[in-house]
Amino acid sequence: MRLFIFSTFVFFHNTLKKDLLLFVLFFIYLIPSGLAQQEEETVMLDSIVIQDKKINEVSYIASNYISKKELQNNYTRDVGDYLRSIPNVSGIRRGGASIDPVVRGYKYSQLNVILSNGVKIEGGCPNRMDPVSAHIEAEDIENIEIIKGPFSLKYGPSFGGVINLISENPRPFEKFEVHANVLYGHESNWNGKKVHGTVYGGNKKIYFQLGGGYRNYGNYESGSREGNDTTYSSAFRKYNYIGKLGFSLKPNHHLMLSYDGVHGRDVMYPALPMDEKTDDTYIISMDYAAENLSPFVKSVDVKIYRSDIQHIMDNSQRPNYSFMQMVADVNAINTGGRANVSMQLSKHSILAGLDYENIKKDGKRIGVMTMMETTSINVKNLWLDALIQNAGLFAEYKTFFSSFEINAGIRGDFNRATSGDTLKIINDRIDYFNEVNSQYINLSASIGITKTVNRWFNVSLAFGRGTRSPNMLERYIKLLPVGYDKYDYLGNPQLKPETNNEIDLTLHFNEEKIGNIYLNFFYSYVQDYITANLLPSSVITPQSPGAPGVKQFYNTEYITSKGFEFGFTSPIKYKLGGSVVAAYTYGVIPSITKYITEGTEVIDAVEIKNDALPEIPPLEATLNVYYKLLKGNLVPRLTIRAVADQRHTSEAFYEPDTPGFCVLNFALRWKINKYAEINTGITNIFDRAYYEHLNRRIIGTKTNLYEPGRVFFATIRVNI
Amino acid sequence: MRNIIIFLILCTGIIFISCNDGTEVEPEREQDMGHLTLKFNHFVDGKPLITDSMMYVNAAGNPYEINEVMYFISDVTLHKSDGTKKMLDDWKDIHYVEIDIPSTITWNVFDDIPTGTYDSITFIFGIPEEKNKSFMFVNPPEDKMMWPDLLGGGYHYMMINGKWLDESNEEQFYNFHLGIGQLYKGDVIDYDSIYAFVQNYFTVSLPDSSFSIEKDNTKEIEIIMNIESWFKTPHNFDFNYWGGAIMEIQPAMQMGKENGYDVFSIGYIK
Repeated sequence: MRLFIFSTFVFFHNTLKKDLLLFVLFFIYLIPSGLAQQEEETVMLDSIVIQDKKINEVSYIASNYISKKELQNNYTRDVGDYLRSIPNVSGIRRGGASIDPVVRGYKYSQLNVILSNGVKIEGGCPNRMDPVSAHIEAEDIENIEIIKGPFSLKYGPSFGGVINLISENPRPFEKFEVHANVLYGHESNWNGKKVHGTVYGGNKKIYFQLGGGYRNYGNYESGSREGNDTTYSSAFRKYNYIGKLGFSLKPNHHLMLSYDGVHGRDVMYPALPMDEKTDDTYIISMDYAAENLSPFVKSVDVKIYRSDIQHIMDNSQRPNYSFMQMVADVNAINTGGRANVSMQLSKHSILAGLDYENIKKDGKRIGVMTMMETTSINVKNLWLDALIQNAGLFAEYKTFFSSFEINAGIRGDFNRATSGDTLKIINDRIDYFNEVNSQYINLSASIGITKTVNRWFNVSLAFGRGTRSPNMLERYIKLLPVGYDKYDYLGNPQLKPETNNEIDLTLHFNEEKIGNIYLNFFYSYVQDYITANLLPSSVITPQSPGAPGVKQFYNTEYITSKGFEFGFTSPIKYKLGGSVVAAYTYGVIPSITKYITEGTEVIDAVEIKNDALPEIPPLEATLNVYYKLLKGNLVPRLTIRAVADQRHTSEAFYEPDTPGFCVLNFALRWKINKYAEINTGITNIFDRAYYEHLNRRIIGTKTNLYEPGRVFFATIRVNI
Repeated sequence: MRNIIIFLILCTGIIFISCNDGTEVEPEREQDMGHLTLKFNHFVDGKPLITDSMMYVNAAGNPYEINEVMYFISDVTLHKSDGTKKMLDDWKDIHYVEIDIPSTITWNVFDDIPTGTYDSITFIFGIPEEKNKSFMFVNPPEDKMMWPDLLGGGYHYMMINGKWLDESNEEQFYNFHLGIGQLYKGDVIDYDSIYAFVQNYFTVSLPDSSFSIEKDNTKEIEIIMNIESWFKTPHNFDFNYWGGAIMEIQPAMQMGKENGYDVFSIGYIK
């Protein structure tokens, strides 16, 4: 124990300034004793849950629920990075931060990623430097809910799954009180520092929460064991603040006002042609909840929100800047809301509601080229007053009889899109980009049945059909390398919606002495799958340096994917425990065109049958073992993650195979007392040089962006 | 019940009969296709170009050497005797040639070429106005051909860079560049005095360029640029008179343009 305290002290001594260290130690050991008496008198009321039922309560589908405690047990520098630890959830890394989640090979708008049960964000960056998960800090999250497949329809159109990042809400107190928590974390390798603090309090009627954080990371170095150590331009700075004010109007009526600001500065993306210069996100929302209104009406929930993103990126840190300077400036505003009513009639539960989303996006790219002491300026719009509106009606139903539970959902969406674009690309009587208006009515539905075989075991079978309309990027983007490859992409305003028809079989075993085991198989048949096709240079030429050509989105007839997820979690009552998870997805596109090139020239085109879907993660498994010491206050944890080669790769997309790897991590959580906790450990202990299959390649090269090498980390958390 | 079944059978029979009007629609016959490869070669005075050597003398008597040659051709068109023609634009319609980049010397044309005999080949030297837009090429090697917006924008049609020996027998650099020309008010060459631009691209008709395309075969045609012709017929281009840079001298570019009609010839067809 002394050795551990000493080593922790040495670590902090090396990473924190001496004064700060002394302050922190003083804070941990002395302050809490002075507050103990006061804390004993605290009566903390239940959290005000302004949300409908948790989606993980639906047992017939594959879902994951991550609590705040679990998040705190891990060193989470990026929400997207953490999500990769969940079975069949992967991420696309383009730089040091903002890893973009992928669920069962579905990504971007194929996933419905929301904040706090319904706040939607239209990322500003066309290259997805700022996916939704980049607009919330891990320290502000209360829990994360992930539901795979097109089954949960109440949060908006759901195609491949829902990721619900629920932020922490303030709670009322019996009498007025104020509390606070602070966190300081440090990571070696990229000399990353993060601080976060929250002050919260209130009384029975009014309660509040004010918080904020700052992260400053340098460039990271990949592992060096294979002699491949490379330092990547991956530095980033981010800061955020959040303010929430809650009112309990009546005991069963609650109102919550929230304001978030999330800001990124000089966020480097070696896999993209530009870096994020600034990103300013403002989210304002209002939630109203009423519960137990009558024996029939159990609750009414209303949410309205507005998210506003101003995103500026440039190539000022790139070698080609002296010759061609590029700046892109995008503004994206998402305004919307949802309302639903929950009803209970005997054994029948019904949830019905409506939602609306209004997305506006506008952005331009400015290119400046200097030659012969003259300057040529090229201003082109990426989006021009682009607008997507989506209005939906939804209902979910749940009942049970005998040993069966039935769940069903239905959703209808009216989707309309338009743009101020004046671009016309018509060649040989083919409209590549012309009519910008489109509107669709989409129907989605799901049904699931769960048979409880005995008190340990149940089996679920679920069918789902989820349709989503094309997004802003797929409809209107103009010439940026936003895909897996380095081609510029052109939107297609006349794209049709794509539909995922999925069947899931889930076996679930839960026994208090053995633990929790689940096994899920899924099969998807996706109609009108949206992918991209290369356009002739006689039609259009790329605008991004390094892009060899232009691809345009189009609907291919169909694709299929299938796979499984397995999970085992030991009972928490034993000192020795752990978990095992494994997942695999296999995707096929029945027919696709491959372009044969010679140098940079396209010389022929061939049809490939049964090609692999690109960007599908390989088979992987993670073993997690822990042992509880000191009554569970000191918990060492060892994690082994093994990932297989990915050899089922797309020929048409020239997708290279990825070698497998195995990494070992160690973490130690020490709860010093009820006020302070230290989390420390090492990731990638053996300093392996490896990259995930979904990591993007360094722009302009065929070199993959490797994951960080060995990292020592420590976090100290104090709650008062 | 039996009557209903008979009725249904009759209805089905009538539908089948009415669907087939007895005329067999002959499927559209697919046209036989072949392929084409264009090879670009560069000669001076009837011999393959040797760069970086002060070994040539132009028609005006200027000793000169050639260091670099880069140019665009576009809208290559194959003409048949019946008046039909095939423009090579299924994949790309502008081809870039640079003598130091072998991949640009050979153009494996993407287009399927209908079989048959073709009388001639024409192309535009340079890039036509409607296609010659700034920032159209953002990657090497074509991006370095950019033509400043102040001088008309778009891209150079051609750059021939080298040296000549002036009247004092001293080496001088020349940039024989063709592109969009400018008309200036008065005698002063100044960006502010430009009042109009001149499109200097022109159509080249290759002499003796008859050839045939057979099904599933690839025909290879060598196109030769006779570089000395840029400096003669009908005008003798004198470096000592025009100087080394002509991008802003429309009369000099006009002379190059008029000399350019007979610069290209056919080498081999196989």
